[in-house]
Amino acid sequence: MIDRLRQFFYRVTSVFRRERLDHELDAELATHLELAIEENLQRGLSAEEARRQALIRFGGKQQAIEQHREARGLPGLEILFQDLRYAVRALFKNPGFTIAVVITLALGIAVNATMFSMVSAFLLRRPVVHEPDRVAVVTSINVGRGFLPDTNPVSAPNYFAWREANSVFSDVSAADEGRTASLTAQGKPEALASAAVSSNYFNVLGVAAQLGRTFSEGEDQPGRDHIVVLSHELWERRYGSNSSVIGSTIRLNRENYVVIGVMPATFHLLGFTPHLWTPLTLTAADRAASARKDRALYVFARLKPGVTVEQARVEISNLARRSEQDFPETEKGWGTAVRTLPDFLVYAFGIRNGLAVMMTAVGFVLMMACANVAGLLLARATGRQEELGIRIALGAGRFRIIRQLLTEGLLNALLGGAVALVLAWWGINFIGTKMTFNEAISAVPLSLDRNVLLFVLGVSVLSAVLCSLAPALRASRTDISTILKAESRAASAGRSHSRLRTVLVTGEIALALFLLIGSGLLIHGIYLLEHQDLGFQPDHLLTAAVTLDSAHYKDAAQQTSFVRYITSRLQNIPGAGAVAVASDLPATGPASVTVQIKGEPDLPANQALTSRAVVVSADYFSAAEIPVVHGRTFTETDNATASPVVVVNQEFVHRLLHDQEPLGKQIRLSVSGPAPKWCEIVGVVANVKNYSEGPDEDPAVFEAFLQRPVASFSIMVRAKTDPNSLASDLRNAIEQADPELPLDRVMSMTSVIELQKGGDVLFVRMLGIFALLALLFAAIGIYGLIAYSVGQRTHEIGIRVALGAGSRQVLRMVLLEGLKMTAIGAAVGLALALPLPKVFGAMFIGINFVEPGIYCIVPLAIVAVSVLATYIPARRAASVDPTIALRNS
Amino acid sequence: MTSSKLDLLQGTLDMMVLQTLTAMGSLHGYGIARRIEQVSGDKVFLNQGTIYASLVRLQQRGWISSEWGVSSNNRKAKFYSITKKGRKQLSEDAVNWQRLASVMSRVLGMQEEGGE
Repeated sequence: MIDRLRQFFYRVTSVFRRERLDHELDAELATHLELAIEENLQRGLSAEEARRQALIRFGGKQQAIEQHREARGLPGLEILFQDLRYAVRALFKNPGFTIAVVITLALGIAVNATMFSMVSAFLLRRPVVHEPDRVAVVTSINVGRGFLPDTNPVSAPNYFAWREANSVFSDVSAADEGRTASLTAQGKPEALASAAVSSNYFNVLGVAAQLGRTFSEGEDQPGRDHIVVLSHELWERRYGSNSSVIGSTIRLNRENYVVIGVMPATFHLLGFTPHLWTPLTLTAADRAASARKDRALYVFARLKPGVTVEQARVEISNLARRSEQDFPETEKGWGTAVRTLPDFLVYAFGIRNGLAVMMTAVGFVLMMACANVAGLLLARATGRQEELGIRIALGAGRFRIIRQLLTEGLLNALLGGAVALVLAWWGINFIGTKMTFNEAISAVPLSLDRNVLLFVLGVSVLSAVLCSLAPALRASRTDISTILKAESRAASAGRSHSRLRTVLVTGEIALALFLLIGSGLLIHGIYLLEHQDLGFQPDHLLTAAVTLDSAHYKDAAQQTSFVRYITSRLQNIPGAGAVAVASDLPATGPASVTVQIKGEPDLPANQALTSRAVVVSADYFSAAEIPVVHGRTFTETDNATASPVVVVNQEFVHRLLHDQEPLGKQIRLSVSGPAPKWCEIVGVVANVKNYSEGPDEDPAVFEAFLQRPVASFSIMVRAKTDPNSLASDLRNAIEQADPELPLDRVMSMTSVIELQKGGDVLFVRMLGIFALLALLFAAIGIYGLIAYSVGQRTHEIGIRVALGAGSRQVLRMVLLEGLKMTAIGAAVGLALALPLPKVFGAMFIGINFVEPGIYCIVPLAIVAVSVLATYIPARRAASVDPTIALRNS
Repeated sequence: MTSSKLDLLQGTLDMMVLQTLTAMGSLHGYGIARRIEQVSGDKVFLNQGTIYASLVRLQQRGWISSEWGVSSNNRKAKFYSITKKGRKQLSEDAVNWQRLASVMSRVLGMQEEGGE
């Protein structure tokens, strides 16, 4: 092995010491001949004969030198250098051509690299935990379906049961991820995403703290649980990366917590990365059957050695079946899902489909760029036929010619790749600054990482092969006898070239059409959503999020009194209209509950009626300006002592009550907390979209805040003028009511909606850019082909004109040629694009992709562009002066 | 005339060079070529030039070493000598070769018997 390496090393170095080694060999061979001649002279031969004999015995001198060089160096490497030298010369000889090729490829590669940086950041980056593929995440599958139904958390009783009964995991931990903690530092309360995790959580993941330590056993017991681990980001931002924070006491949820550790910056689990971790304390109450409705825990478990995820899946589903038999009321219809940690994180992030569409789109853009470059190379190959003919005549083999042209293509593509890296760097920064709409997304930094660099290299090489292979194969088949005879050039050279180019351009048109229709459908669908009527009035509405901590607001009475106080205070702000609180802001996707209707038979769990449920204060409907259709809404007298009442929306009446008279009907909701009561429907309001970015309107039921208060809610203030002008008044009011209560996300309702659909805007913009790029490439491709073929046919056109063809006829002939390709390409592209609405419909649920208009507009646009691209060279052809044309050739 | 001379099998020239250097010590390219011709009784068809490809190959493998010196008649020439590693290689190759040769002669002998 070492010998092999040494030999290889010699060979490589001798490629670079070529001159000196050649010189030495020359000297050696000269000595050889002199010695031979001398010996021959001594044998009595004449001087001339001695020399002749010596040369005969030596054999071919050039052959010996070649053999020596082959044995000495690496012939492949030497040829590569030769080709590269030649390619560089060719590059500089024709700078215009080079620039066109490099820029085309650079654009194509750059959009791919930019998109790929997202793939790399979101899909390829492995969580920095010990053997991430051996960590399994157990989740519930929601009976109620909804968005990603199989990523629902698990209830505490199930966590205990599965942790104790399973035989597939070596250790099982749980995390309650969705908590909000209020951190008070320097007198300023701040709401932070926090997670309560079992004491073995970090051990199961196999991560250690960067500073201090993580939780140890027993610290999840009440009394020992006032300790906290900080995220690197929080430590940096709030504590200035000061390591003395370890051991210090911080104020969290109005209580004192001791900081025991800081996690490393690399510990990042996509959507499951809170700002701080506290121990998860589970008590006997959490084991009770009544706790089964409360599904809040994500279960992270380490697989035993040798156990596969599949085995774990089977085991957990068996255990789930057991609890379903024991507790049918709460468990019926709920399933379980087990995924590896990397898989789960990416899946739960829900970004895969969007990225797949984007990567396909940019892949097409790259293919079109390659087709254009292939067209350019083909055109140039025709111009270089004479040169290639001479090389073939001098003995260059077919393979050697292909190799040389591929080397040139590779050089072009690598230059394109280098320029693309610069463009991609810019593109990645641009997207990075635009991706602030979601904390989890903006927390993942995009960068030109190693994956992206490798991707660019790979794509460059691939595009080099894609765009230079066809021209190279074609050129290598050059027939020297016809090429070298100058007079045959004008007649038919390029016939087959133009056929290949026609195929390329036709394909390009088909791709462009496909891409334009695809992006058109997506852009149109998203545009419709953005401009839909949400069912309420988002303008002039100020909002803020509040979480009342259990430490200070122990019971329902304290929660309602806070809300009573704050709403009445806010109403007195000058410029404020109706004020309300709600568990969810309108059109922000409230949670679903199952519904029972009095007098109707109980349905099995998997067919249970479901409805979205929102808890609202009395003035919610007037603050949001949701029209009341029937009956009444809540009043201040609908309080804890009054009989429970609810308001439903029209969809509820239609779907769940089958349009019967709703007022007076009694319903019961499966909400958490004390045993649910029967509630009377007292009013019906108009529908509001579930999400601002979707068209769906589910049944919804509204409960009165005074009757079922919640700890986490949003405040809504209807403003007479700019809602943001009331923000400071709102802050002051809260601070006076409770100085340690953090106010989160103080912003206008329109900003809430903007943030919620921020991704779509970016998505649409990027698609628009890709579509334009595709159209541009197609136009350049058509223009290049027609211009080139007109140039080739100058002679023929000259003859036609000389024989009496008018300029209109010539114009028509050339235009028809272009239109023919466009028509074929467009037809192919149209056929390919027909199933797109179905495909998109399956990928992006809830968006309307049926828009026949796009199927008319896009082909028309393509035809228009290609007519324009054809017209310019066609005009030139029509103005050919036959005397000049015939003389030139 | 050429038909009566032996064409060299791949690799045999390398062995001949190594053996020559073992027997003669340090020698220049021409000397090696002449020596092989003489020993073979002019039966080997050798373009003397081909010896140089063999020499560079052997040198890269570390089986021979070279240095510039002055020949007996005062000419500057590159002298080759076998290394320790080269000797080891040669003895291995020689054993192999002799085994192959004896097997070959037996196989060929069998064919003659079968022909009768």
